[in-house]
Formats: sequence, C-alpha cells, structure tokens
Amino acid sequence: MRPNLHFARSPIRLNVVTPESRGQAPILEMRRISKRFDATQALNDVSLTLYPGEVHALLGENGAGKSTLIKIMTGIHQPDAGQILLDGRPVQIHNAMHAQSLGIVAIYQEPMVFPDLTVAENIFIGHAERNPFMRWGQTYRKAREILALLDVKLDVRMPARGLTLAAQQAVEIAKAISLNARVLIMDEPTASLSAHEVEQLFKLVNTLRERGVAILFISHRLDEVFSIADRVTILRDGQWISTRPRNEVTSELAIREMVGREITDFFAKTPAVRRGELLLSVHNLGKAGAFAGISFDMYRGEVLGFAGLVGARRTDVGLALFGIEPADSGEIVFEGRPCVISSPQQAMQLGIAYVTEDRRQLGLSLPQSITANITLPLLRRYAAAFGLLNFKAEAETAERYKQQLSIRAPNVRVDVGKLSGGNQQKVMLAKWLNTKPKLLILDEPTRGIDVGAKAEVHHIINELAQQGIGIILISSDLPEVLGMSDRVLVMREGRQMGIFDRAEATQERVMAAALGQSPASDEARPAIQEVTL
Amino acid sequence: MTQLTSLLRRWETLLLGILLAVVLFNIARSPFYLRIENLVNVFELSIEKIIVALVMTFIIINGEIDLSVASVMGLAACVVARLHADGVAMPLAVLVALLVGLACGAFNGFWVAYVGLPSLAVTLAGLIGYRGAARILLEDKSIGNFPDWFNALGQQPLIGPFPFALILFFVMLIAAIIILQRTAFGRYVYVIGNNKEVARYSGIQVQQVKMKLFIASGLIAALAGILLAARLGAVRGNTAEGFELDIITMVLLGGVSIFGGSGTLTGVALSILIILNLRNGMSLANITGNTQTGVIGALLILSVLLPNLAGQVRSLRNRARPASPALAQVSQGMETSGSSLRP
Amino acid sequence: MRALTRAIRPEQLREITLAMLIVVVVLFFSSQIQGYLSGRTFNRVTTSVAIIAVVAVGQTLVVLTRNIDLSVGSIVGFSAYFVGTRLANDNTISPPAAIAMSIGLGAAMGAINGALVAYGRVPSIIVTLGTLAIFRTILVDMSGARTVVVDALPQWLKDLPRTNLTQIGEVDLRLMFALAVLVVLLFQLVLVYLRFGRQLYAIGSNPEAARNAGLPVQRVVFIAFVLCGALAGLAGFMFLARFGTITVVAGQGMELQAVAAVVVGGVNIFGGSGSMIGAFLGATLIDLLEQSLIRWLRVSEFWRDALLGLLILLAVASDAIILNRLRQVWAQDSMTTGSRPAK
Repeated sequence: MRPNLHFARSPIRLNVVTPESRGQAPILEMRRISKRFDATQALNDVSLTLYPGEVHALLGENGAGKSTLIKIMTGIHQPDAGQILLDGRPVQIHNAMHAQSLGIVAIYQEPMVFPDLTVAENIFIGHAERNPFMRWGQTYRKAREILALLDVKLDVRMPARGLTLAAQQAVEIAKAISLNARVLIMDEPTASLSAHEVEQLFKLVNTLRERGVAILFISHRLDEVFSIADRVTILRDGQWISTRPRNEVTSELAIREMVGREITDFFAKTPAVRRGELLLSVHNLGKAGAFAGISFDMYRGEVLGFAGLVGARRTDVGLALFGIEPADSGEIVFEGRPCVISSPQQAMQLGIAYVTEDRRQLGLSLPQSITANITLPLLRRYAAAFGLLNFKAEAETAERYKQQLSIRAPNVRVDVGKLSGGNQQKVMLAKWLNTKPKLLILDEPTRGIDVGAKAEVHHIINELAQQGIGIILISSDLPEVLGMSDRVLVMREGRQMGIFDRAEATQERVMAAALGQSPASDEARPAIQEVTL
Repeated sequence: MTQLTSLLRRWETLLLGILLAVVLFNIARSPFYLRIENLVNVFELSIEKIIVALVMTFIIINGEIDLSVASVMGLAACVVARLHADGVAMPLAVLVALLVGLACGAFNGFWVAYVGLPSLAVTLAGLIGYRGAARILLEDKSIGNFPDWFNALGQQPLIGPFPFALILFFVMLIAAIIILQRTAFGRYVYVIGNNKEVARYSGIQVQQVKMKLFIASGLIAALAGILLAARLGAVRGNTAEGFELDIITMVLLGGVSIFGGSGTLTGVALSILIILNLRNGMSLANITGNTQTGVIGALLILSVLLPNLAGQVRSLRNRARPASPALAQVSQGMETSGSSLRP
Repeated sequence: MRALTRAIRPEQLREITLAMLIVVVVLFFSSQIQGYLSGRTFNRVTTSVAIIAVVAVGQTLVVLTRNIDLSVGSIVGFSAYFVGTRLANDNTISPPAAIAMSIGLGAAMGAINGALVAYGRVPSIIVTLGTLAIFRTILVDMSGARTVVVDALPQWLKDLPRTNLTQIGEVDLRLMFALAVLVVLLFQLVLVYLRFGRQLYAIGSNPEAARNAGLPVQRVVFIAFVLCGALAGLAGFMFLARFGTITVVAGQGMELQAVAAVVVGGVNIFGGSGSMIGAFLGATLIDLLEQSLIRWLRVSEFWRDALLGLLILLAVASDAIILNRLRQVWAQDSMTTGSRPAK
C-alpha cells in the first residue's frame, strides 16, 4: 500500500486534534438512523457526528449506504428510524431546500452548473431570495468577493458553459460558501479531477475547515482520504463499522473494514514484461486543438499506461486510435501495416477496441439487457437467415462472459442500468472482449467502482495481457497505472512528456513529468526519442 | 423480467382493455358495427394515416420526430394530380411523386443525421415548406378525374372485401414488427434512441440509420399520400393537412416514449385499433369529425398523463426510490433528440 | 478575434446578425423594387408583425424552459372569436374589459397547458399538440360554424388598427405596433432583471440542476405557460381588431409562425438561451422577407409557406453550425485562460 502519496498530499498537520478532544459541540448528529427500500435495508442503526472545523471521511464500498446517508442529511429521503440533531436540537429535514436553509449543502461528483447562466448567477442560484428583482451589481460584487476568498480567478460575468470540471467545482464550493454552509457534504468530488486539481480542491477544503465548516468527504481514493481527513467513518452493508481519528487508521485496516475480508492483491502486480511482437507504432500523431507529437511502440501482451493530469488529453489519443475523433496528422502502423483510422468501424475491423471512461453516457445502453449490450458492436454477426437475429447465440455469448468475468446479476436479461458500477464495468469489458480485440484501450476502467470490483478488473487486465492482447491503460489513479503497466507514457496538455519503463516509473518521476517539471521534461523534449524503428 | 418491459407489457394490457371496452360499446350501440363492410370501413377511412404511423414508430423510438409527414403526403398527392392534369401518364406521375417523397425524406434526414439539427425544427420547417410546395403546385384548384384503375386502387376491394391499401398495411405491419424486434437494424433503432453516443461509441453508423429512417418516412408518406388521392378521387392543396396529429397520437398512445428508446409495434397496433374504433363508434353515434379530433387530442394527453399520475400516487405511497442524481432523467420538457445545439 | 468572440454572447451575436440581415434585406429590395423604401412598406410590415410578435414573446417564455406551446394558434382563434362574439352582441363592453377578457381567456387556456406540463409531467409537445386540437374543437362546436362579422363590432374596435400613436411623413406608428413593441421590451426586461426571468434560463439550461438547486421549477414552467396563453389571448384581441371578420379557423397555423419567429430569432429550441429582442427581430425578418419576395418575384401568396419553411431551416442550420464553431472557440478560450482556478 502507498498511503500519503506525494501528489495528493495537502500540508501535513502533524498533531491531529480530534474535535472531541477540543470539547466542541457537534454541529450535526445523525443518531441511530435506519432506512429501508423495499427489500433492501440501506441503513441499519447508523450514527455519525460532525464537529465544526473537521473533515470527516466516509468510507465504504458501493452499496454500503453512503449515498442513502447523504440523502437523509440533505432531506431527499426521510429516515425510517433515528434522529437528526442540529446544534443539539432535533430537526426534521423536509427537502433539499430546507437542508440548505439549515446550512447543510451537498456537492456531487458531477457539478450542477447552468451553462447558460453567468458564473455569478450560478453561485447565487440556490438563494431563496424574496426580492423578485435581480441586482446585478451586487451579485457580481459578492461573487467576486467569494471567489477571491477562495483564491479562485474566474470571470464572474462569463457564462458557465465551457468551464473545466475543476472550475465548475470551485463554483460549487463558492455556492456553498454563499449559502453560509455549516455542513458541506462532498460526494466523490475528486473522481474526475487530476492530481493537480485535487491539490487545488484540498486547499479550498482547508480554507473551509479553518472557517469552521464541518466537511463530510466521500472518496474511493484512500490516499486522498488519509491526507485530508481528521476522522474516518467506515460503513459496510448499511451498518456502521467504525469511526476513528485519521492517525489510527491504516489503508489495510480501512480496506479490511470496508470489504470485511482481506484483499491481498489490491494492486495486482503485473507479470514480468513479456513482450510479444510489435503490435502498434504511432509516430508523431496529432490533432489540432487536442494533442500533438505522440509517438510510441507497443507490443502484444504489453500494458502501456497513460498517465497525466486531467486536461492532459489522454482520452483524446484513445479516441483518435478508435476513430471517434480521428487524428489529423502523424502515422499509425498497426500490425506492420500503415493505416488511417477515420471511424470506429475501421478501428474495429483492425482489432482495436475502446472502453470509455463514461459508462453511463457513452459506454452502455442502460435500459437494455446485459445481452444486448454485450453483442451490440458485433450485432450483425448474430444475424442468421433473412437478417433475423439469433437470440440464442446472443444469450450464449452473454452467459459465457457472465461466467468468465463473474458479472453479478440474476440473469443476462437484466437491464444494465440496474447493475452496480463494478458490474457495469465488466459488461463493458465483455462487450469489447467479444470483438476479439488485438488492442484494447481502457479509459479509467476502475473509476467509481468499489474496492472489490477494482481488484477483479485488475485481474482481468492481467489475464488479457497474458493472452497477448495489447492494452493501453489510461488512468488517473497513479498507484493503479504504476502497478498495472509495463511501461508508462506520460502526457501533459496534449504533449508527450516521456515514456518510462516499469523500473524507472516512480511516482515522483511520473508526477514530475505530468506537471511539466524536470527532470523528466528534459528527457522528453524531443518527443520522438522513444520511437525505436 | 425487467421492470421497464413489464411496465410496457402492462401498458399494452391496458390498451387491450380499452380496446375491448370500445369494441363492446360500439357493438352495443350500433347493429351495423359488426358488419364486415363497417369493419373494413373502420380501417379504410384512416388507412393512409396508419401506414405512416408504422414508420413514425421507428422514428420516435429512434429519438426523433417527423412532423412533416402530412405535408409530404399532401405534396405527393399534389404532384400526382398536377402531373396528371398536365398530361403525364399516371404510372409515371406516381413514380415521380414517390421520388419527391423520397427526396423530402432525404432532405430532412440530411439535416438531422449529417448536420445534426434537431428533427423537431427541421421537420417543422418541412411541415410548412412541403405544404407550401403543394400549394404552389395546385394553388386553390382541386384536381381529380384520375384514371379508373387509379381510383379503383383506393376505392375498390382487391381481395375479398379488402382494398389494396388495407392489405398493404397488414404486410407492412408484419414486416415492421420483424424489422424492429428481430433484426440488427431494429436493435440499433432502440439503442440510438436511447443514447446515440453509446451507439456511436459501439461502432454503429448512427447517421446512416437515421438517414434510412427519414428516407423511409418520406417514401412511405408519399405512398400514403398517393393512396389518399386514389381514395378521395380528387386532390387539393390542403389534402392531408393536420394528419400528423393523428399519426403521432397513434404512436404515443401505443406507449412509445416521446424521448425515444422504448415502445413496441404491438402497442402501436393496439392504439391504432382503439383510435379507429373510437372514431368509427363516434361516427356511428353521429358525432362530428371536429369533435372526434378533440377527443383524439384529449386521448393523446391522457395517454401520457394517466401513467404519470399513477406513478406519482405510487411514489407518494412509498416515497422511497433510491434515485441517484446521475440517474434522474429529464422527465419534462422536450428532449426529442440529443441536439448538437446543446453540446 | 478572440477578444471579440469573448465580448459577445451567443444571443447578442444573433441579435446583431438579425439586425444586419434586416438592413441588408431592406437595402437589397429597395434597389430591386420601385418605391420600396416608403412609409407604406413600413406600415404594412409593422401591422402584420404586431400580432405575431406578441405571440412570439409568449412562445419565447415557454421555449426558454425547454418546452414548446403548439396550441397558441388555437388560443388566438378562440380568444378572437369569443371576444368578438361578446362585443358583437353587446357593443357597450368597454375596451379595457374586452382586453381583460381576451387576456384572461388566454391565461386560462395557458393554465391548462401549464398544469398538464408542470404538474402532470406530460411533455409539452404532447400536451399542446392535444390542446391545439381540443381548443379548436371547442371553438368550432361552440360557434356552430357562425362567423363574427365586422359590421356588428363596436366602432372603437374597428378604428383601432388604423389608430396612430404618431405620424412622421408617410410613416405611421400604429398603436397596435407600439403595443407589441411595449410587450417585447417589457418581457425583455423581465428576462434580464427579474428573478423569474433568470429562472426560465436556469430551467432550460439544466432542468435537473434547477430541481436540485431548489428552484420552483414546476411553478416557473406553469407561469411561463400561463403568460404564453395570456399573450396569445391578447394577440387574439389584436387579431379581432385587425381583421374584424372572424371564422372558426382564425389563427390557424399561427403556432408555426410563432415557433418560426422564435427559432429564427435565435432562441435555442432546447431552451436556456435567447431573448425577446431576438424573437421580435426574427418575426420582423420573416415578415419582411415574405412581403418583399412576393412583391419582387411577383409570385403568388402560395409561395409563402415554402419560403417560411426554408427560412426556418436556414436559421436553425446557421445557428447550429456557426454557434457550435464559436462555442468551441469559447470553450477552448476558457480552458487556456480565464476559467482555471488560480494556483
């Protein structure tokens, strides 16, 4: 395990003073909360206390009850049993608006911005103003003040359309401050952020902490949790497991409590480099406005990691290789033949598959069955006489992958939208494995899935590499990309900063290259240097 | 089975119930109802609309809409009439009209599929524009005097008591069901309607599918327009005006989601039967065509409102659905296509 | 270029383009048509724009929220006919009472639409396609196909369309046009300076976020429909004043003209952006083009619809193509500068 990673570290505060020890009164207490949905007991007798000026991490696998707890805190759901105390007084939170007026504000993974409204309006949109008139001067001034407080430079008169995710999150936090939030719930705020942006976010979090805001922080990235949290609460299967000061929690302990079992191969070690023949050569690939000068070779059975911060344009390279957003300069040589990839159909014919980072919006047809999703790219192959689909053959394919990848679902006719994130990820893998790819591009394959599923996905990647499939692994999870890859290509703002062998790919080096700092950037200046032709 | 499909199943069951009620009511009200002439008549009076409703089902499931169908029907009819009046041989006139329909569909399809404009806007322009073209052709004249064989096509039974158009409809219905439920193309129609980006990322040629659908829509609308001309025996500039309302009502009442991605032809077939029998029943009861249109409009609204209300009552009873914000779909407003206007 | 594209927001760009287009059109036709640049042209255009502009303002309110109201034509007809009948029967009804009656009637019909859309959660295109038929049906049934005739109307109403606010040479500033401009400006102020106006944008921009932010989404959408209906009612009154003779088909097709004006005026058909000024300019451009082309080409009025359809298509296409290109520039711009949190 690698706790306290360099890239996600906020200023270390050595003397962790727990709020209890300071003798402060809690802001919000959730006492013995239970909640049941139809057959599932989502929460069972869960308690949680938030003190002013603390960052309280909430850990748990998907389905542990974190979301339900948050939704009860923000009034979206009502508890079946238990009590909520605000400043020591019992309250009933009727709805999200009511929660807001009580000072309880939530920020979600996907920021909720209004692209057509100005930044300033976005900050103040939630205010239940009585005055029916807009006071623009005042709105702009106050917005500027709040952003200055957070040390964020944004033009408050700009429409929010086109803001980066990180900027959108800054707007969300400014919104929370404008609402005088006393309890700020951050639900996986870092899932889509690059390490650098995470650092920015944590600065904001620290500012809020100093102002006495209680922050409930939810993340799947343990290292982040350990670097920012004061206390850590762990839930499992709707049950409260533990609440401890941060310095009493180790990754191993946290993982054990989250999953209720030991995970030995959390970051599966890849086998020793087993290079097959040359599979893909990319030379000086570029696309205007996205990336330029990308050059690398890759071999059968190799896992080539793509590391970089968000905005490094790694996904764009993947999309270019898959023909969704074709490159406009450079050469691609696949299996020894130069080729132009201008559509996904062409890429698929070559044997290239791309597993997107966005399961819900780009990867899966949620209201359709597991079977329909898996067979989709090759559907015409399942057509028999008169173009009629062979449903039986389709179901057989799906069953095979369901077993192979241990997709957990009652049967293959279940709608994919009903599966957990991890199982959806496996369906997406199955969908593309079924095309028998020679090159598999995996874009953030473990984002937002729980620890157990993550390990399974890592296993699958290893197995596929063993079978001789070349794998490009794009991941923002640095330990993952380092742990899984034979070599790591680092990008920064559309440029290739270098390729590191497994042995030389340390976190410090990769991170330095991703940030554009020496020494890696010196090596990488002639971007073609890695090409061995 | 999954909830969604079981819901649709239930929707179809509901439609079947309504249909039975309407039929029983009609039987009770009028002794003429069960006569074979009347039953054929039930279909014949709206045969052109229900033919177009079949292809409209594909388009709406695909997440688009074609508001221009009635205008294409009118335009095709006007083309036939005008060419006939100008002395062109009737078969040639029919062929040209079909090509005009195809061209209209291709024109719509081009803007929707390849330029990425919202189909609502494109076909609204088509609705106005193609009607305009029809008016230019005929101005305020009425043209008839078609050859006998042409009129017979629309007016005389072909096999037994069934006229050509009715037989055509049943053949097309069966073909449509097979294409939608049993072929790769049909599956693509659903997947694209659901989320066209997912389709694109799966290597499906989204633009081709959409283009084919709009071309089919134009062609079939033209065919329907020609059949209408044959049945009416005369054509005016406003022939088939307003038919899009009935056609879209048939599809939506059949349980096809206006947002795309779900619906079945079984449902649409049932809703067609309901609407036709309802109109027939009202006609037998001497209710005017105008009032019938109003009733159909009300039916359209109720067909979406009632399930919504039922859903709200259910969710009030157990306010408990764990809905993640990412899952919550835009449940109101029009989202008929993922327009490129909204990146 | 960068600085310029960042200084101008999309809807402003559209307004400027429209204004320039209007100037170009006027200049072009004045070189082609003798005596084009006259008070008569101005008077003719302003008279016919006045009514559609008022309807378009209402339509804009609704379209901004990512909805559409296709029933406005029926509301205009209903209001014109109903108020016309009352005035014909009782010439003593005062002008304010007549106007209030027409606005109230429209608002009531808008409230039906709004309730079904906002609280019944039925997509607006379905609701208003239905009420388009239903309102018209009620009108036809109620009227017994009688017509309101000019002669029966009170004198003040007959004089209204020719009443001038001021007169500069040949150019008349008609009272009805002034009223329309007033409505446009009033609602433009509403959009910019009222919280309600901003909420319209917010809802159209991101309905899900609007709900999560605790905005009164249902109420705002409901009010938008009520206002749209009320404005259509007012337009009905203006329609009555202008034409005097009102049949049961009065206002038919006006929904399409209004949607066309809104779309040409740069209001995003998927909500969230657009302005009243834009919609007004859109309506003006359409009317100007129609009238000028008919005079210039000496084509019959039958060409009107065909041209209108083409114009809508061009507007939507240019919107999508040009604005998308610009938005890419904006997005890139904000990525490289401005919108990144400071270090």
